[in-house]
Amino acid sequence: MVVLSAARWVRSRLTDRFWRVQEVLKYARHFRGRKNRCYKLAVRSVRRAFVRSTKARREKKRFLRALWITRIEAASLEHGLKYPAFISNLVKSQVELNRKVLADLAIYEPKTFKSLAALAQRRRQEGFLAALGDGKEPEGIFSRIVRHHY
Amino acid sequence: VAKTSLTSPPWPEVPKLPDPVEEAKYHAEVVQKVNGMISAGQYGRLFAVVHFASKQWKITSEDLIMMDNVLEAECGDRIRLEKVLLVGADDFTLIGRPLLGKDLVRVEATVIEKTESWPKINMRFWKRHNYQRKKIITNPQTVLRINTIEIYPCLS
Repeated sequence: MVVLSAARWVRSRLTDRFWRVQEVLKYARHFRGRKNRCYKLAVRSVRRAFVRSTKARREKKRFLRALWITRIEAASLEHGLKYPAFISNLVKSQVELNRKVLADLAIYEPKTFKSLAALAQRRRQEGFLAALGDGKEPEGIFSRIVRHHY
Repeated sequence: VAKTSLTSPPWPEVPKLPDPVEEAKYHAEVVQKVNGMISAGQYGRLFAVVHFASKQWKITSEDLIMMDNVLEAECGDRIRLEKVLLVGADDFTLIGRPLLGKDLVRVEATVIEKTESWPKINMRFWKRHNYQRKKIITNPQTVLRINTIEIYPCLS
């Protein structure tokens, strides 16, 4: 006779409850208080920890970029340049180094960073001179900038 | 005439740039000196900034790099990293605009290991909506060992 289902008096018992609970508790062992021991509290804490770690992975990139920018700003101020001037002039000189590498150079290769700051400063002055032009005023215009003082 | 707030322009005085002819002479001297130093081998450890796997790395010889993707090369293959942005030693640096020439720098690396990352847990949860999704992600990773960085004296 072919039996397709278990007889109704056969009950199945959960035998690996211990390991199912341990799967969750292993992530909670370093927590503080009862949530590192009691399953009901641990489930909630572990769930929140996982969700926070996923969100933090996205924010880590923003945080690290801000850190690099702070470091580059500090290093360029040591050489007498502000961060926007430094970065914009480096980009205009076609030097495509990103902020992570610039921060590493500022920490571990100070001489190289000094040369990059000098490059940015020189490009900045060339930009100013190109913008100022000859220093002559257009014809027919009188301005209050008086050249000769008596 | 008394000096007023509009006598001089509000921007600071820009110092004049040095004479272009003299500058060119000075540049040629510096380039020759650096060329001489490179051909004489008067540099210690070289470091390079390399653009690889859409990231920039500051590398020296004998150091390890791990990237979060698959490389189509077997373990033990020697690879040449082109796209060098910067090469430096103790006394001089060569800054590329944006890249340095392939006949100037040579960076060699070997593929050491191709593994998966540790299992990262991706979880989404909305409270009071009975919504939670848990996904375990293992990214493929490749480990490279940078063997050598060489420079050749072909500056001009």
